[in-house]
Amino acid sequence: METELATRMVTGLADAGINFISYLPESRLSQILPLMREDARFKLAPTASEADAVSIAVGATLGGKQAACYMESTGIYVSCYQLVVVALHLRVPILLLVGHLGGFDDQRNSFLYSLPGRRLIPQLKALDIEHSVLHNGDNLEANIKTAVRTMNALREPVALVFTGEFTV
Amino acid sequence: MNRYECLQFLAPLITDQLIVTSQSGQRIEWGSLSRHDGNLLLGEMGAALSVGAGLAMALPHRQVIVLESDGSVLLTLSSLATVANLGIDNLIVFVFDNGTYSGTRISEPTATRGKSDLEQLAKGAGIDRSMTVRKLEDFKRHAAPALAAKALSFIVCKVAESLMHREIPRPDVDLVENKYKFLRYLQATEGKPAPFLGRG
Repeated sequence: METELATRMVTGLADAGINFISYLPESRLSQILPLMREDARFKLAPTASEADAVSIAVGATLGGKQAACYMESTGIYVSCYQLVVVALHLRVPILLLVGHLGGFDDQRNSFLYSLPGRRLIPQLKALDIEHSVLHNGDNLEANIKTAVRTMNALREPVALVFTGEFTV
Repeated sequence: MNRYECLQFLAPLITDQLIVTSQSGQRIEWGSLSRHDGNLLLGEMGAALSVGAGLAMALPHRQVIVLESDGSVLLTLSSLATVANLGIDNLIVFVFDNGTYSGTRISEPTATRGKSDLEQLAKGAGIDRSMTVRKLEDFKRHAAPALAAKALSFIVCKVAESLMHREIPRPDVDLVENKYKFLRYLQATEGKPAPFLGRG
């Protein structure tokens, strides 16, 4: 992802009220992490598993933060149990920021990623998690605000899936 | 030593701490022993430790106590490494380790009945203040100082399998109802609501 896009994404998240990020880093959106680490508006929680990241985000939200969870496509599979039995069951809003590794529009797709990537959107649908796929930076800030408003209204996790221009 | 005895000792020590329980007997027994509004009684295994860590990070001035079980911790061992590296000093974890999946009703053994040692796993993950207690006197001797300390503590309590939780009334508060009760308690004690509340 271009640095300019990463900067806009981080600013957009802060402007939308996100102030806590739990994550397992990946390769498509990782430029956001150094920016967030240097930004006092965010508290970061690095994790060893997306399963931990989801539960930590739930705890942080209950503690008064507006939390996001950053991961790649396969992280949704790893954290599926926590998404269902913690976040959805307790009805806790968290913003899922998912790099669509292996997706149709992944600019660095390969045989290593394409199979799990292809099943990401069906998985989100199966979980009944509201999501939006962003292919480029058009209206990025507005899309982030919309996702945060939606998750707070639903009291449920909502996902932004980043592909195309974000995966360069 | 059994879990209920430990929880009986712990309950009067709670003032304004936030308590997170995993699913299992400790949820039922703690729900029966404590009417504290700061109880978050989770209905699943493998999440309480990380949910507690998120709470502890969001509210670094509050003390968070997690009541876990061996089966629950074993389900998400990654959380030991995650929590060890978050720099948290306001989280105390009690793991009631009976070596049994007692919910199975046929007392199937967990890995801690075999070769696995949760204290060593936690220490290896980087949680330095990890210990194992085997007698009620030792639990009492270590639990109170842990509550007074400003440090991440991980206390494995080796307890006998007990069927007490099948004899006492189960909590009748729905998970979401409990969440809102917990949030209103935080709102009252922190002076502000969770960001997603109050938008009706």
